[in-house]
Amino acid sequence: MSRDPGVALGAAGASGAPGAPLPTLLVIPTGIGCGVGGYAGDALPSARLLAAASGCLITHPNVMNGAALYWSDPRIHYVEGSALDRFAAGELALRPVRRQRIGLLLDAGIEVELRHRHLQVADGCRASLGLSIGPVEVTDEPLEITLTSGASGASWGRLGRPEALLRAGRRLRAAGATAIAVVARFPEDPTSEALAAYRQGSGVDALAGAEAVISHLLSRELGIPCAHAPALSPLPLDPALDPRAAGEELGYTFLACVLVGLSRAPDLVPLAPASSLERPLAPRGGGDGLEIAAVGAVVAPAGALGGAAVLACAERGIPLIAVHNPCVLNVSAEALGLEVLEASSYAEAAGLVLALREGLDPAALRRPLARLV
Amino acid sequence: MSGSAAGPQLQGVELELVRRPGPLLEQIQAALAAQGRPLRWAITAVEPGPGGGPEGSRLRLEAVVQR
Repeated sequence: MSRDPGVALGAAGASGAPGAPLPTLLVIPTGIGCGVGGYAGDALPSARLLAAASGCLITHPNVMNGAALYWSDPRIHYVEGSALDRFAAGELALRPVRRQRIGLLLDAGIEVELRHRHLQVADGCRASLGLSIGPVEVTDEPLEITLTSGASGASWGRLGRPEALLRAGRRLRAAGATAIAVVARFPEDPTSEALAAYRQGSGVDALAGAEAVISHLLSRELGIPCAHAPALSPLPLDPALDPRAAGEELGYTFLACVLVGLSRAPDLVPLAPASSLERPLAPRGGGDGLEIAAVGAVVAPAGALGGAAVLACAERGIPLIAVHNPCVLNVSAEALGLEVLEASSYAEAAGLVLALREGLDPAALRRPLARLV
Repeated sequence: MSGSAAGPQLQGVELELVRRPGPLLEQIQAALAAQGRPLRWAITAVEPGPGGGPEGSRLRLEAVVQR
């Protein structure tokens, strides 16, 4: 991939005073079995560290969602995956809000008792966390989720009734919801080898692909923050449960983290399209939102660099930090012809982000250091 | 897979793209647009080109498109 040296030299994030927040994108694709981030919000500690290093982290629900576990940090912007892609492409700005009013969209395919569990989570978040939740809509047909995987082993999924999802979402938006939490009934096979592997800390999250399809469709069509929680029956106790998967087995739902994340998710502000030759280095949207031109770094797994957001950032000359985070893919910087800063861990990545924030050349931190001439 | 009669249809696709010189995203978006309106996609495998580098490499794309 070619890089315009002019863009690289004037790259976003190179402006600004040393030490000022360096908006940073953190991408950990869901459904590819990442060692960090492929389970129940197990990338949260890394996200917290990167938020501290950058002062402003933009990341997606897969990173932040720990089912019953969550963390709220004003430095972290919770942005659904497809919205993150559009943000990186310069199509959206992110406008911070004090709170969102979260509409709750429930799949008609959820059994009565399980539906009550979800409503109780919502009530608990209202009473004990002060979140603004409501109204509630149930789809007029079951959504009919099925799980699939690609030839790569990555998780994908199918949605049998996409229009039912969109109708319910539109009703919620019309009723005043400014963000939407979706709960869809997922198929389950408690005896499957894939589930056993996931609970033991290996393999791919089989639900992830379908979850992404649901939230991507809703986010793109409605233009407001959205996130998804699967509705599943509780599993029997597994004393050997991997710690990374534990967050999903603490309660009856996966919903709490979604409600917390959406409660302060930034508004999505459409930007006027720019020409393909125009790469503005200054914000275009009027100043009250965060735009891709301000982003100074993107952090992604070293074997999963072939996604929309990462490639869009790379084409803008935004420094790409490729972290050793094994997954089922091997789409590397070398294979794609990308220049990256390599990090052996998210802790090292945080150090690189901090270096960029301080205006340090990361090369000065590595050995050997070659002479200029 | 199909949606409701009046609504969008979502289809999983897998395709290969031989990389040409120039920006990669444009090539990917054009390849996917021929299949439908892409909802979610990723490069999931790369086979090096004849010279061992990215040019001429074969990219496997997995995607969900809207038709």
